[in-house]
Amino acid sequence: MIEKEKLELYAEKLLFKMNDEEYETLQKEFDVILKQMDLIGKIDGISDVEPMTFPFVTYTAKLREDEVKNTLETEDLLVNAKHHDRSQIRVPKVVE
Amino acid sequence: MIDELREKIDKKEVTSKQLFEEAKNKAKKYQEDYNCFVTILDEYMHENSTSKLDGIPYGLKDNFSTKGILTTGSSNILKDYVPVYDSTVYKKLKESGAVLVGKTVLDELAMGGTGTTGHTGIVRNPWDKTHMIGGSSAGSAASVALNIVPFSIGSDTGDSIRKPAAFGGVVGFKPTYGRISRYGLFGFASSLDHVGCFARCVKDIAYVTDIIKGQDEFDMTSLPDDNKIYSSTLENDIKGKKLFYIKEACDINLYKDSKDTELLETLKIFHENIDKLREIGFIVEEVEFGKELLDALYPTYMTISCAEATSNNANLTGIQFGPRGEGNSIEEIMFDARTKGFSELIKRRFILGSYILQKENQEKLFLNAGRVRRLVVNRMNELFKTYDGLIMPTSGGIAPKFGEKTDQLSDRYLILENHLVIGNFGGFPSISLPSGIVNKMPISINLTGRAMEDDLVLNMAYKIEEKLGYKGLLKEEYDV
Repeated sequence: MIEKEKLELYAEKLLFKMNDEEYETLQKEFDVILKQMDLIGKIDGISDVEPMTFPFVTYTAKLREDEVKNTLETEDLLVNAKHHDRSQIRVPKVVE
Repeated sequence: MIDELREKIDKKEVTSKQLFEEAKNKAKKYQEDYNCFVTILDEYMHENSTSKLDGIPYGLKDNFSTKGILTTGSSNILKDYVPVYDSTVYKKLKESGAVLVGKTVLDELAMGGTGTTGHTGIVRNPWDKTHMIGGSSAGSAASVALNIVPFSIGSDTGDSIRKPAAFGGVVGFKPTYGRISRYGLFGFASSLDHVGCFARCVKDIAYVTDIIKGQDEFDMTSLPDDNKIYSSTLENDIKGKKLFYIKEACDINLYKDSKDTELLETLKIFHENIDKLREIGFIVEEVEFGKELLDALYPTYMTISCAEATSNNANLTGIQFGPRGEGNSIEEIMFDARTKGFSELIKRRFILGSYILQKENQEKLFLNAGRVRRLVVNRMNELFKTYDGLIMPTSGGIAPKFGEKTDQLSDRYLILENHLVIGNFGGFPSISLPSGIVNKMPISINLTGRAMEDDLVLNMAYKIEEKLGYKGLLKEEYDV
């Protein structure tokens, strides 16, 4: 079974916390998922191909003109931020 | 359905506003029992147009940006987010005169297939409230199945339109990757995400797709428009078109020791339907796809989608939008917002994504999943040299009951319940339509065609629908 400490480290990197019960469920889930993932490595000829990152290559024949355009106004961008001051989002002091 | 409503509006038997009010009232009436919507609009918003959709009410999944209208992704982390711009799909529908009735519930951030993880509660199946509708486009499927709206919009990363459509007894279509702009859609896994729609017949799907497709300067992955009108080629002759189904999933002899009567009945109906398709001129053959590749479909999908999702959702911090967390530093604030904002399931998916992207796992998991994806797509493209489409049962049975356990390592789960991801891996157009009734619940058949041939897929689906006889299917009590 995957160690809880390892999972805690990932959660830390992802900037959220989970409780003990949630970690227990996750450990059980990993057991199944890792078994399923073993199926990936068993494929013949897997090393002969390049990984696919998009369904197919699309060529954009037409690029827009390189003109500066404002798509959104600053006040619109700030509408959903809970704390803002003039044109900036307010956060706790970063440099003491 | 759209033609009937169109005629009523044109003959002035009903106004668009009356249709909106009727849809809104139905939406409210069914909300407590089925929970289709995050937001039901009070205001009638209509731009005049001469399009087929002018005045027709519809539902939009709550992960499409709508300027000035709450858009939550069915997640607490966006529970108060009001977009400041429109998604291209919404913009096109507005311009076509379609009238938005509400924003539909999804599995949180579109990551899930049960319709049970949205922040406003579970979505129930209109055919039987003790069953799921599936997801992630749960409310979009249920709102069409309840006859609240004649069509709705969804997104599909693994099967998120086609599976809930199947469970709700309606038609669900995702076209070729890039056919419809993703601008303004909350990204889940960008290389797999598609926009598509739900309706009660293939013709309505074609009408809606005709309106919302096309290249978009705001989405670099959108395709140049094919300048085709899909609704005009539905009647084309399909005699001699060749379809295949996958032996490793559909051969009834594989399940001869199974006690799963629902699966056996579903497969029996599937094969009866295949015979009916032969009667109208389709050539249908059984093909061995490769069991190793099929077994790897679901883990490959999970690997790619969770990895991409982890990265796509890194912007959800509660700083720019969403509820602000508490704390004395930016880091503490983000920790608090993300801890409170994401449900347990989403956190588990993100951790899986993070695990896959760790340096030591990248080659074995992430890159190998990309390689399997290529092998699957290569196999499909090889088969598409001979065949015009892949025909399959959309699922191995009816919608599951809430709380029902599945063996996630079984063949039924790994292949029959997850083969639809093939359509996302290769960006192939894919449609699910009702094909029978098992235990008083709908089952469905799925057709997947070559990339770029959306018109042919809809044409073949239209003929299949005509033959199977489930066009406009509704549970009797909603037929009002």
